[in-house]
Amino acid sequence: MNLTKLETGNASFDHISHGGLPLGRTTLVAGSSGSAKTLFGAQFLAMGIQLFDQPGVFVTFEEQVDDIRKNLKSFNWDIDTWEKEGKWIFVDAAPKEENIIAVGDFDLSAFRIRLESAVQKCNAQRVVIDSIGSIFTQFHEEMHTIRRELIQVALTLSRLGATSIITAERLEEYGKITRFGVEEFLTDNVVILRNVLQNEKRRRTIEILKFRGSNHEKGENPFSINPEKAIVIIPLSAMNLKHITSDERVTSGIPTLDTMMNGGFFKGSINLVSGAIGAGKTLLVANFVSAIRENRERCLLMAFEESTEQLYRNAAGWGIDFRGLEEEGLLKVICIYPEVSSLEDHFINIQEIVQRFKPDRIAIDSLSALSRTSTDKGFREFIIAFTAYLKHQEITGMFTSNTPLLAGGTSDTEGNISPITDSIILLRYVEMSGEMQRSIAVLKMRGSSHDSSIRKFSISDKGANIGKHFEGISGILTGNPMLIKLE
Amino acid sequence: MSMHVFQLFINGHSPNSIEAVDTLLKICRENLNGNYQLKIIDIQKDPDKAEEAGIIAIPTLIRLEPTPVSRIIGALNVRSRVLAALGISSLHKY
Repeated sequence: MNLTKLETGNASFDHISHGGLPLGRTTLVAGSSGSAKTLFGAQFLAMGIQLFDQPGVFVTFEEQVDDIRKNLKSFNWDIDTWEKEGKWIFVDAAPKEENIIAVGDFDLSAFRIRLESAVQKCNAQRVVIDSIGSIFTQFHEEMHTIRRELIQVALTLSRLGATSIITAERLEEYGKITRFGVEEFLTDNVVILRNVLQNEKRRRTIEILKFRGSNHEKGENPFSINPEKAIVIIPLSAMNLKHITSDERVTSGIPTLDTMMNGGFFKGSINLVSGAIGAGKTLLVANFVSAIRENRERCLLMAFEESTEQLYRNAAGWGIDFRGLEEEGLLKVICIYPEVSSLEDHFINIQEIVQRFKPDRIAIDSLSALSRTSTDKGFREFIIAFTAYLKHQEITGMFTSNTPLLAGGTSDTEGNISPITDSIILLRYVEMSGEMQRSIAVLKMRGSSHDSSIRKFSISDKGANIGKHFEGISGILTGNPMLIKLE
Repeated sequence: MSMHVFQLFINGHSPNSIEAVDTLLKICRENLNGNYQLKIIDIQKDPDKAEEAGIIAIPTLIRLEPTPVSRIIGALNVRSRVLAALGISSLHKY
């Protein structure tokens, strides 16, 4: 039961739709105002022209043609030129300045004929009608007529055989599909765009409600509007667990830690370092980074808490030379505030860097800082998408996470990420005899045995030093260490 | 009485189109005393004209003069309402 699809050219949409929009059919794209319906349609046409040399017709019922041209310029789509080359034709059905009075029965045959002649003129394979709801407002007293006539428009589109998008307004994010019940006669293929305000943050999602007679991903997928690529979807539901797992080990940069983990991290694994402030997380990251020198691997370090200068200085304090690694082209350090963009944009941004730099390792310090920019749900989705992406690329990752308590405890960030990680390293303070000591332990290690002891951990100007395990003490993880008598 | 300039967009011989042409011609004769210019455009033959004028509905009557320009859509089958919409006094009968 698989119907042929037309590749839209938006790779992320083609991914979640299993190949694009149903070929030669009409898809209803419904969304509240500001949900990027017009952009979705315009991108469909622009990609068609840019990538497949398929001409398109853009019908506007709402925005003025000049405004659309202007708005789309920011995405580097040269619509003026395409219009001159006859690849893009506008059909202007936007409201006119003059008053329109209806006296007696009418039909929309003029519109249908114009649409048909535009499609034939450029041999259009893609058609966008944006947005059909506004025709109801233009002829607000004649709902019944418009309804009857829109069925005719739908028939015209299917006769023309172009793959088309009709956009429609909706009033609520969760409720009736469209405001004027257009779905009653455009039922086969429905895509919903949402722009939901959650905890003071905007979250855009796309959902393919149905493609009759064809498979697609179900549920909402977050998306972002990128100045270069327009709509980019983060395909959550399309993530699979089919990535390659490796038996190969890579060093953490600290020999004792490698021993604790029975030989180091697995290649392509995701590893979490959890600890309170100052417990040594960044130090572990620095070692993880500097370990690339041995086999001349490449590493991407994303720092969300410190500036480049700070990082270099701190690393130098532990005898690690970041600057040298960067000059050799092995290391790329990116320091940004998490708040500069949304989590979706961060994801797209990191993906782009990874594609260009092709690192073997990636370190993120810290994930907790990144979690500030999103809702819990959004963050969880980001983590799932991101770790799946890294595993797919066989990149070994080290993420750090802040715990709010100095001694024991975990954080919300960890609650979200720990099930997905392959190993977790705990860094905890231990208060003993009026002294703060540091400890390190490998909490979990997927697919391998590991040292279960909680060991002493100290930081000096030579870097990290892992000592023996805390003998005769219990309650370190709960934050209440007690001396116990050994038999 | 000032000159009235009209464009009427129709679609071949559709019933609505025929009715609109009939009513408009009557109004021109009886209420405007022949003081008018009327251009009837068939969108089947001249789709580009419909494109230029941004016509969606058929029939569409555009009054270009006197200004302001106004549009009436529909079969124009209620003469008194058409006259009201065009601002022509129905008493003006010759």
